[in-house]
Amino acid sequence: MERQEILDTMNLVMTNKGREPITDETVATRDANFRSLDFSEVALRIETKLGRELTFDAAAMRNIDTVKDVLDFFEKATA
Amino acid sequence: MPDVAHNNTITFPDGQSSWSALLKNADARIGEPDRFDGQRVVFVVDSMQQAFGAIIYGLTHGLDYGVVERHRVSPEVAGRFAENGVTLFDWAAVTVMGDAQHAGDTLEPGRVTVLTSGTTGLLKLIPHSWDTLNTFDRVAELPANTWFLPYQIGSYAWFQMVALGLFKPGQNLVCGDFNDLAASFETALHTGQITAISSTPTFWRHALMNIGFDLIQSAPLTSISMGGEIVDQAILDELGGIFPQAKIRHIYASSEAGAAIVVTDGKAGFDAKLTDPARAIGVKVEEDRLYIRSPYSNKADASGWVDTGDLVERRGDRFLFCGRAGNTMINVGGQKAFPPDIEAYLNAHPNVVWSQVTARRAPLMGNLPVAKVVLTKGADTTTAERDLTEYCSKGLAEYAVPRMWEFLDSVPMRASLKS
Repeated sequence: MERQEILDTMNLVMTNKGREPITDETVATRDANFRSLDFSEVALRIETKLGRELTFDAAAMRNIDTVKDVLDFFEKATA
Repeated sequence: MPDVAHNNTITFPDGQSSWSALLKNADARIGEPDRFDGQRVVFVVDSMQQAFGAIIYGLTHGLDYGVVERHRVSPEVAGRFAENGVTLFDWAAVTVMGDAQHAGDTLEPGRVTVLTSGTTGLLKLIPHSWDTLNTFDRVAELPANTWFLPYQIGSYAWFQMVALGLFKPGQNLVCGDFNDLAASFETALHTGQITAISSTPTFWRHALMNIGFDLIQSAPLTSISMGGEIVDQAILDELGGIFPQAKIRHIYASSEAGAAIVVTDGKAGFDAKLTDPARAIGVKVEEDRLYIRSPYSNKADASGWVDTGDLVERRGDRFLFCGRAGNTMINVGGQKAFPPDIEAYLNAHPNVVWSQVTARRAPLMGNLPVAKVVLTKGADTTTAERDLTEYCSKGLAEYAVPRMWEFLDSVPMRASLKS
């Protein structure tokens, strides 16, 4: 899935919660107020869009720190 | 067993009848009951009129019997009946369907077979009698009423209403047409004669979406009963506002536990005082699980208690229903979210007619709650997802806020009137 599409999905989740959309990839997910539940929701939305379950690398998931990490993670998972 | 109220009327889509007339016609059609000697019989019917004829015929002649609609009799279902020694009898053709079964020692004259698919989807034959089905026998004085009957032929709720019409003088029935229940309810309301109805919250939500509000509000309803699924505060408040003159009650009953809890105070759940051991109908809660001891029950352990399999939670001086054991809780990353709670909260939103919350498997958290929702007509669907997410975020724990939303055009309703 395209990086921009993943970011749009993240921002849909953010704005649905009344939070500011993310514009800076370098910001930490914690500082962007992007939480574990939001990560899980983004994954579910991407799975729904693609019509298949994604396989996740648990180790890579634990190392996520920034918005860029999230985008990289989903880019790889959907490749 | 009390006497049959022979003069009570039953209104069908094509005319009105009485128990006396139905019995006369049934006797003429079927003939002497000795043709059913030694048989546990279930009458296969095509219409409500045939079903009522079969009911009064079987009752009058003391048969071991039941009724089922023809469209439900698949080869699998017919096999299920045969396994239980049941002979299927075609009411319209006046002949046995398939092979006649001999009940032998299992024959129980006076037994009434109630059919339920329950939560498993597998047809179950629940043995009752008119004594256990006649749950209104403890009501000493019942004002004369004309009841709209929305239930599916042969279900427990249908039998309860039929028993009411059979045994309580002054209780007339108007049968709904299951092919288009909302239309038949609308037709019945137009007569201005419906004064009472027993149904489910889903039925009402369906009706409120599909029938003009003015017509509904004009109905001279004095008695509204609901059951069959969790009755939340939102629907109680809404009906209370529309029908201030009506006595609104919700009833906890099941085909196995019988009718056990009747709540008339306009609040969801039931008063914790009902667990007082001195009550005639016993209610106890152990580890959040509801047990009933009732004279209307057909299945109990040695001490008389039926494990209902339903969960309740104590909140203040009340117990609120939380759904069925085993399939109610959503585990969201180790936190427990309960769909009935989320649905009750959603249903209280002014733009929500109906909601259903389920679990979706999701990475990281294991599961997330997702919601199907029917909005009120005219509600802005483009902002609904954000609005409802914001609304839920204010009143629910973060893990209980539905994460994905599906907006439906109408309230889905199964044959049981549940969703």
